[in-house]
Amino acid sequence: MNIFERLQMLDRRWIFLVVAIAIIVPLIIPFNSKTYTTEPTEKLYRLIDSFAPGQDEKPIEKDRALLLVFTHDASTMSELFPMEVAILRHCFARKIKVFTLTFLPSAAPIMDYAINTVKEEFPEVKSGEHYVNFGYKIGALMLPIILGMGEDISEAVDIDAEGRKISSLPIMKNIKNYNEMNLIMDFSGSSAGGAWIVYARSKFGANVGAGVTAVMAADQYPYLQTGQLTGMLAGLKGAAEYEKLVDVFATNQDPAKREFSRELLKDTKYDDAITNPNIKTKFKQARIGMNAQSVAHIMIIVFILIGNIGYFITKYKQKQQG
Amino acid sequence: MFEIVSNWVAAFLTLCIFSFLYKDNPFYRFAEYLFVGVTAGYTIPLTWEMAFIPYVYRPLFLQHKFILLIPAFIGILYIFTFNRKLNWLSRYPIAFGMGMVGMGVPLSMHASVLVQMRGAMIPIESINSLLVFIGTITILLYFYFSKAHTGTYGKVVKIGIWYMMIGFGASFGYTVMARISLLIGRIQFLVSDVLHIIK
Repeated sequence: MNIFERLQMLDRRWIFLVVAIAIIVPLIIPFNSKTYTTEPTEKLYRLIDSFAPGQDEKPIEKDRALLLVFTHDASTMSELFPMEVAILRHCFARKIKVFTLTFLPSAAPIMDYAINTVKEEFPEVKSGEHYVNFGYKIGALMLPIILGMGEDISEAVDIDAEGRKISSLPIMKNIKNYNEMNLIMDFSGSSAGGAWIVYARSKFGANVGAGVTAVMAADQYPYLQTGQLTGMLAGLKGAAEYEKLVDVFATNQDPAKREFSRELLKDTKYDDAITNPNIKTKFKQARIGMNAQSVAHIMIIVFILIGNIGYFITKYKQKQQG
Repeated sequence: MFEIVSNWVAAFLTLCIFSFLYKDNPFYRFAEYLFVGVTAGYTIPLTWEMAFIPYVYRPLFLQHKFILLIPAFIGILYIFTFNRKLNWLSRYPIAFGMGMVGMGVPLSMHASVLVQMRGAMIPIESINSLLVFIGTITILLYFYFSKAHTGTYGKVVKIGIWYMMIGFGASFGYTVMARISLLIGRIQFLVSDVLHIIK
């Protein structure tokens, strides 16, 4: 039995072990790698950034806001949570009004966790003034709330996660419906986000963005092509791209460089994020993960190549013998 | 202290699930059943607190909005789904649910069919739009089964098959990425939050 025949009969558990090592090593030994940003992520970033108040404008006066909808449980957290953290960080850094909402009971603690993870770094950010957590609303109310927010958000949602009347909160100044809360970003590992396209987009013309697990990304591309989705974050890669954009622009030390620019994006000094101690691990989780992802992908490609070479050599030998 | 204990419990359960990669075993099954039980246990009181109390109990018993007795009664009919003789009663609340779904049909048609069709009817001004045009036509022809896939027609249809194969390949590539991401998430948790190897 030659090496290729042996490889054909290799116990799959050895492959599991090699993939596990391929993932563990890049996580323990961090290294820098370039993160290229794609158009769907950039479009989303730029739209969210356009909601930031001007230099002479009070954040509370701004008539633009963003709604983040958490439609996933812990099983898809590793892909979706870094996206949520990156977008919340962008909003808190640029004082963009942001609301959070979920119709899934198991997503409620994830929503709190995401807000608290980012809020630790922004002590000046206040609930009710810069952001509001609408909290968990039962699934049966999904449709009435989506449609109701098209008329009046305060009436449709009524109370937030802390039991406060939405209409009494300072953040609601100049925010009434989808005309102001102009982007809905749904994070899900399913096609649940489609409800926002069908009802909020088709009926009220609201912008809809999607943060989806990589499995769902291929299904969402048609909606992206027709413009029904303003932008999309696809899996861990999408999260890594958004993390980079927030690092380069939203949290830039120089206020003059906080606007999106392609020249600044090409600057290689922003490519050392993974080994840069000034960037906290929680804000580069996806980029660290993408290092492991790249190594694992190379391993899988090598396995596929070896498997195929072995298959064809074995087949060729059998043909010669037979 | 709570965080340390909860992290170690989570680490133990993660390893229980991973043990299935070696072979099926009682640790894996224990973690699986525990997950199902915890999910149900968490959802029931949350639904009671967030749905029954604010939308039934409070308006009905404290604010005396007796009109709510009608939807509450219709909702209760769901329970009869467990009774063989009376399970026909559970169809009434289902009918109301279907009515809600029906309301979304025209909007779904707009978003998933009409706008998508419009997206495919763009002028062929770039390579991308040409590729989209060829792909849409050849795939639609593949699903036209009233003509045999032979001769010139068969060759055109084959292009549609190639398009679909590329689509499935992209989908599979994304699936691999997603599954690896899940593994990365768990390993990040183990090496970072539990073992503190990454700060």
